[in-house]
Amino acid sequence: MGLSSAAAGEGPQLCVFDLRRGQQEGQELDKILFFHPTDCPILLQLSVIGLCEGIITFARIFSPDDDCEVIESEKHSHVFYQAEADIWMVLVVEKNKDIESTWRCGALQGILKEVHSLFTMFHGPIRTLLDRQPSAELARGHLRTFFTDYLSDFNAGKKIQLPTFRDCLKERGTVQMLTISREVALEVQSLTTVLGSCLGNVMCQSLVLFEDLLVSTTLPPDDTLNLYTYAILRLTPRALLSNATSWSYLRKGTSVHAGPTSSSSNGTASVERPLQREKLYKGKDGFVAAGSTTSEVRGAVAWVPILWFQQAEDRMHLCVYQHKNITILLLIPASSLINGDDGIAHVKRHLLENASQNIVTLELKLSRGWGGENAYHVGGYRYLLVDPDRKVSRASPPGKVTTLSKDSLLSLNRLREEIDLEKSRAKRSDSCHDKDFEVCIRAKNNAWVIAKVTRGRELYMALEKAGETLLYASTAIEKFSNRYCEGAFSTD
Amino acid sequence: MDMDPPTNNPSPPGPPDSPPPEKRLASLSLRTSHLPPDFEIHDDYDDDDDEGYLTAVSRVGSISTSASAWKDDLEDADVAPPSPSSSGYAAERGTSLASSAAANDDPQPQPDDDDWPRDKKHLHEDDTSASWRKRKKHFFILSNSGKPIYSRYGDEHKLAGFSATLQAIISFVENSGDHIKFVRAAKHQIVFLVKGPIYLVCISCTEESYEGLRGQLELMYGQMLLILTKSVNRCFEKNPKFDMAPLLGGTDAVFLSLIHAFSWNPATFLHAYTCLPLAQSTRQAASAVLQDIADSGVLFALLMCEHKVISLVGAQKATLHPDDIFLLSNFILSSESFRTSESFSPICLPRYNSMAFLYAYVHFFDENTYLTLLTARSDAFYDLKDSRSRIQNVLLKANVLVEVQRSLRESALRIEDLPADPSSQSVSPPPQFSQDLHFQLLSSEMAIGGPAGLWHFIYKSIYLDQYVSSEFPLIISNPKQQKRLYKAYQKLYASMHDKATGPHKTQFRRDEDYVLFCWITQDFELYAAFNPLADKSQAIKVCNRVCQWIRDLENEIFVYGESTLSW
Repeated sequence: MGLSSAAAGEGPQLCVFDLRRGQQEGQELDKILFFHPTDCPILLQLSVIGLCEGIITFARIFSPDDDCEVIESEKHSHVFYQAEADIWMVLVVEKNKDIESTWRCGALQGILKEVHSLFTMFHGPIRTLLDRQPSAELARGHLRTFFTDYLSDFNAGKKIQLPTFRDCLKERGTVQMLTISREVALEVQSLTTVLGSCLGNVMCQSLVLFEDLLVSTTLPPDDTLNLYTYAILRLTPRALLSNATSWSYLRKGTSVHAGPTSSSSNGTASVERPLQREKLYKGKDGFVAAGSTTSEVRGAVAWVPILWFQQAEDRMHLCVYQHKNITILLLIPASSLINGDDGIAHVKRHLLENASQNIVTLELKLSRGWGGENAYHVGGYRYLLVDPDRKVSRASPPGKVTTLSKDSLLSLNRLREEIDLEKSRAKRSDSCHDKDFEVCIRAKNNAWVIAKVTRGRELYMALEKAGETLLYASTAIEKFSNRYCEGAFSTD
Repeated sequence: MDMDPPTNNPSPPGPPDSPPPEKRLASLSLRTSHLPPDFEIHDDYDDDDDEGYLTAVSRVGSISTSASAWKDDLEDADVAPPSPSSSGYAAERGTSLASSAAANDDPQPQPDDDDWPRDKKHLHEDDTSASWRKRKKHFFILSNSGKPIYSRYGDEHKLAGFSATLQAIISFVENSGDHIKFVRAAKHQIVFLVKGPIYLVCISCTEESYEGLRGQLELMYGQMLLILTKSVNRCFEKNPKFDMAPLLGGTDAVFLSLIHAFSWNPATFLHAYTCLPLAQSTRQAASAVLQDIADSGVLFALLMCEHKVISLVGAQKATLHPDDIFLLSNFILSSESFRTSESFSPICLPRYNSMAFLYAYVHFFDENTYLTLLTARSDAFYDLKDSRSRIQNVLLKANVLVEVQRSLRESALRIEDLPADPSSQSVSPPPQFSQDLHFQLLSSEMAIGGPAGLWHFIYKSIYLDQYVSSEFPLIISNPKQQKRLYKAYQKLYASMHDKATGPHKTQFRRDEDYVLFCWITQDFELYAAFNPLADKSQAIKVCNRVCQWIRDLENEIFVYGESTLSW
């Protein structure tokens, strides 16, 4: 196979393949479940997947219990993620001469993890879809529409723009939380209690968001993260506005022909393309509905997708309500709805009758205290705080991060690569004992780039005006830690 | 005639211990025939019709003889044929089987038993062996047709299938117009290096950086060139399936020594050399006599003690790269034949000129100290022998060799000897130790090391391409601990010298093992290790004191002004 990957044109490739399929000679195509770009020649697809499969098999000679993570060559990075047993996802990115295509392997793998988590939330595990229909048409159809819609978020003009070194102070796979006062916390707790009882004696789960930040959740961390991620992409006021703005643009693009999908047995409208942009909008009653501005005349279509929550081990209907900048995600156990649409209507009515006053009050209080998009800016610092156990992060506003020089961002990106390696080593060696480490680097442009991992929590920072000495930079970190992190990163 | 006749090993050596009967049986069953290895090797040659000369020689000689015979053949293409008396010495390298015995007071740490089994290559293992797969660090050299040339573990002939797989991976990526660099699978890294028709691969779970492992593969390649020159590529152009492994026959000890140096010799990542500390007058005496060997066509003259330079003299405008010094000393120190008699051998200095052979005259004055004279003339043996005699006389009269032995015993830099700073003496020990004076003293000695918890440092002079390192304190007294520290230094080095963003100016690193500092200026690089609880401000002060100390001692610990030879 002498095909050059340049034939595929520019842009990353993303493939999903199943090593349990297509093992007979002549049946290699059967292992391919998804390939982007979809118009990539078959021979090139087989070439990419053949190399990946060969490397996976080869690496297992020495690491039988570990996953292949990355192939680095001069012109490409192949980032691997074993999403389910023997179901692999690989992202192939091309390196350019220009420094702008500098990535962090962990950030790219985070994309693969995110899209797979979202997919399983809507469609269940890929393996389950394959077991249900061994011909794989069902799985391929869902993967094609879902992944293509997901990747459209990275469109920049005609190209796909993946996160680069300029995004090194962001952390995909984490929730960003709103800091609230005690008074507001009481109001939130009251609201949560009311939301929980929307279905009488059956407990409903809920997430409350303000702007793009999480206010409260009753779900376990993993499920919270999954739903939060989806909300930020498609449900919050900013996302819905983005939907409307991009609607006409996307309609001009190539349409994706979805494969056949089955309706849910209880008669509720199924969700064919949950990541399709123009699909959702806020209805007059405050609930998010499916359709488009043109279909509003004919009446909104209720949008109540069924989601699978892995950590909570339950299937739930999602009902979304918005009041100004508050978004309520209400989750109704699917097993508790006896009469389908009537049950949903009942829940909605209950929410409007019992919770709307709480919601209005809460929105007023949150808006009054809201500092705007620079609410978490700390003068002189560019930072990222991550708590991996709770899957929570906080960061400098993107607009502030852009003030950093390219050299500072490149150095910090490189430092994060090193820390990623150290973290994975620590995780493998002794899972119950956190290993603390700290790195401070004064780069050649005189910026300080800093990483501290303390009792599992992580702080990354770039200081461009911290002066000459390590002690000065250390003092700056100490002040930041004491004021904003309860001293979590202070030296003992 | 003073010359000792060369000893010629008539057949390739078997492993020191014969494997147990069941393994021997298993080993035999792996073969397609019951013929002995010797015959099989010869059989391979019968297929190479283009190598008539090799074939003829191999029918009557040993692998090592074939290697030198091939070298003779290659020399015809590049240089005048050597005189019969000198070419005989080339065969001596073929008899090198064991690394040099550790000398008394050898600063090199003794490898762990785990790392140094009597059967170092484990010839009974192959890629299907569980023990082979669990090795922490594999090195492979193969050709672009997939033929195995060298493997750290296992018999190369049994690894033909595995080598073919490595070659397939490399070629597959090349066919798409790309070049594979490394694969990472959790704790394992697989690093690839392509040098024309030669492929080098390292498979490691030792948590070293990619840059570090790639640098080691470069040194492996350089060591191979030192033995063969880059002209070996022509053999592959002529015959892509050329079997190069026999050319490296008898050099396992050289590569094994090189691989071990990766874990104890900072020269392997600093790309600098270190000097034996000597009084300035003593070193000047040595340098002066090296300069005097005019009219000999000597390109370089090195007086060395183990892996440390005593004096180094180069011809006009010619400089010796630190990597060449390292590879040359590794070659000499790991080849027993150089110790037993004076030698005159063809070698190549990859950084100086990777295509050309030079000739190395080597003579050991005592157990540790040896002279190396490098020339491009193949007929220079007698002249260099005379030069060596004159050098030896002068060194004896000036007591240089005695001073060298004394330095070997006494002159290590000890962190306890770091000159005191008045302000640091005021620092009191931590409060919880104040209750128990005995415990305090014991803790201070065992846990804290030098001032402010300093354990070790390396100082590299950028201008001189030389480095000096301190002696290890009690806290880092065993080889495993020292290996771990060198690994941490290597990662620190890679981080500071990152291609895209480096070199950085300063780095501070703290983990559960160490506090590490690195400081890079236009003049020097300092790497220092402290105990993991060290205080930042105190450690910074100590680093400054170390730099001042080194500047005060530089006349003794560095070689200044590589002198030009007088013509």
